[in-house]
Amino acid sequence: MAVDMELELMLRPPALPMAPYPSKVITLANGKKMVVREVQREDIPTLLKAVHPTIFIHKDFYDIVGSRLYSELVGMYTHRTANEFCLVGQIDGFLVGMVNSRMYSAKTGMSLHTLAIDRGLRVGAHLFAAKMEHHIEYLGQEEVLIVAESPIGFRRWMIEYGLEPTDIPHELGGALSFRLTRQLYFETKSRLVAGDRPVPQELLEVAQREIVIASEADIREKIAGLKGR
Amino acid sequence: MRDVAIIGVGMIPFGRRDEDTLVDMLAYASMKALDDAGVDAVDALYVANMGGGVIQRQTAIASALVDRLSLLPAAADLVENGPASGGSAVKNGVLAVASGYYDVVLVAGGEKMREVTGWRATDFVATLTHPETEYPYGITLPGMAGMFTRLYMEKYGVTREMLVQIAIKNQTMGALNPYAHVEMMITKEGVMDSPHSVVNNPPAATPLHLYDMCPVSDGAAAVILCPLNRVKELTKNLPVVVAGFGQATDTHTLAEREDPTDLKAVTLAAQQAFERAKMKPEEISVAELHDAFTILEIAESEHVGFFKKGEGGKAVLEGKTRLGGQLPINVSGGLKARGHPVGATGVAQIVELTWQLRHELPKERQVKGAKAGFSINFGGFGNNVVAFVLKRGEK
Amino acid sequence: MKEITAYKCKKCGRIHYPKHERCLTCKHREFEPIHPEGNVKLLTFTQIFNLPWGFDERFLYIGVVQFANGVKAMGQIDAPDGADLRLGMTLKAEWEPVRTVFDEPVYGLKLKPLG
Repeated sequence: MAVDMELELMLRPPALPMAPYPSKVITLANGKKMVVREVQREDIPTLLKAVHPTIFIHKDFYDIVGSRLYSELVGMYTHRTANEFCLVGQIDGFLVGMVNSRMYSAKTGMSLHTLAIDRGLRVGAHLFAAKMEHHIEYLGQEEVLIVAESPIGFRRWMIEYGLEPTDIPHELGGALSFRLTRQLYFETKSRLVAGDRPVPQELLEVAQREIVIASEADIREKIAGLKGR
Repeated sequence: MRDVAIIGVGMIPFGRRDEDTLVDMLAYASMKALDDAGVDAVDALYVANMGGGVIQRQTAIASALVDRLSLLPAAADLVENGPASGGSAVKNGVLAVASGYYDVVLVAGGEKMREVTGWRATDFVATLTHPETEYPYGITLPGMAGMFTRLYMEKYGVTREMLVQIAIKNQTMGALNPYAHVEMMITKEGVMDSPHSVVNNPPAATPLHLYDMCPVSDGAAAVILCPLNRVKELTKNLPVVVAGFGQATDTHTLAEREDPTDLKAVTLAAQQAFERAKMKPEEISVAELHDAFTILEIAESEHVGFFKKGEGGKAVLEGKTRLGGQLPINVSGGLKARGHPVGATGVAQIVELTWQLRHELPKERQVKGAKAGFSINFGGFGNNVVAFVLKRGEK
Repeated sequence: MKEITAYKCKKCGRIHYPKHERCLTCKHREFEPIHPEGNVKLLTFTQIFNLPWGFDERFLYIGVVQFANGVKAMGQIDAPDGADLRLGMTLKAEWEPVRTVFDEPVYGLKLKPLG
């Protein structure tokens, strides 16, 4: 069905100007180079293929993270979420994790989800840090509101960053938000945010050429298999 | 006293076994050991487990296992001796056979730790510390190891690079072991040299970092013991002889050790094992040491007599403890990569050494011509230690 | 510090904390109860980041210290991230809450850098 642009424009949320996230490269514990970069709307159908199997992993809260992330990405693709961005981590082109988030206002960021597909390499920690880096350093925001859906997330974000509790209900289910302020970000940056810029051209080209998605079976095994950490 | 042989071994891959209960895992490993030996009845079981009562709220696990395996009415005992439960259970099995009271004994060790969050698992292991003078402060086993490492580095010149090289060696070997929990290789660049290693390998219990620690794992392992003189009638397998064992204890609290860098129980357990075996450390072809923390592989290799004090770390840098080196240590990947389901570990070490001494492993993991193996199972923070010397037997 | 009772062997003088039925050195069974006093010397320490259930802090410093009268004990060190702690340094010892269990404080040895 053709899109009725007149109606469509009424349905789309207003958009704030958003600076792009400059790509970076991180050397992981296994020596592999993970390129972290912002993806565009047209990449979303590819990303959905990686998120889909996680919806059915009833372990470590992957089901709630996967299903919400899936709908948020669909929302971004169909212009139903305001000011959303998505960063991915790729090793040799393969998608190893992704994070998404949005600007709630010019001043406040609303952190959405972090999904690690390859586990045990701190991919999630690196990508979450990149998301905070984008909110504070490139989008120039004053604060980011965060909640955790899993104990792993709680431990990683609330305790490692020393986030401030608030009584502000978060968009994700209304749980009370924790807050990363600009000041807290810069206090913790040296131990939590890593990466080099610019990304060497050949690495960036491999990442941009194709976001390679592992098979659904591989994704399930990486996340929920015997060796899943 | 009779000579004791290991005639069957079994193990299930370590990792995160959400689908299996603790008794499931013990049963699977036990069935493999029974089938490996080719026996279908035993006189007694010794079952090693530390946390069933705390984590699973299940007690009397030996009674549950003997029934599950249809080995009734065999005698069955649970052995809980902290992270040395496995070694203790094997030792009890060896004593039972050596004494002449039992002929065929199954020893199984298992632990299911991933059922709870890391916080709970850390707290569970910390319950082995002193309940008044240590536990309330929030001390953990990694914390004990951190305090020990600080002193050991200062006294013996152990460097961070030595520790990192142990982690690399053991994770490289673990990647070749299908039973290992961690199959991921790491590089020095990724965990130490790159500025990004600050995030990859953060401090965990200073001066130790994340990659100095073993993972928290689920798993089980089992062995079958019998008198050496009955091997031929019971099994077709080449026997592995329990040439010697030792066990020693040290103060419960770390603060009461006169020299906290001296792991007296390790030294004594090893001495007893070598004396009983009438062997020397130089005669060992392959060793499984208790590297719950990388520092322990160095400290134990020195305390048991493989290297002089202060030389263990250098030996690592020189490659002497790699496969193909002078004395390969933790070819299985050790606790660092195979994982550390606490009750299973001491038994898993014996399983690995048995495979090595039977020359059954694939080439990339086999210590060529291995004749004698050695293990250290380190309980508490070195307050209860079990050592074994095993020898390849004859057909 | 009355909250800590250590036990000095009446035969060989070895100091025990916690209590033992027999001396760890000479097996003697009689002890003189003693209390540690004054500042302490830091024998070893660690900064632990992955804390057990019951602690919500990002890290804890834990050390083993020795009092002037020879009593050795574990305690929490009250110091900020990146504190310049050194082996052998002198710390002040206090008896303060070290954790909370069921909303009730649990007291223990709290060690503080001087000055």
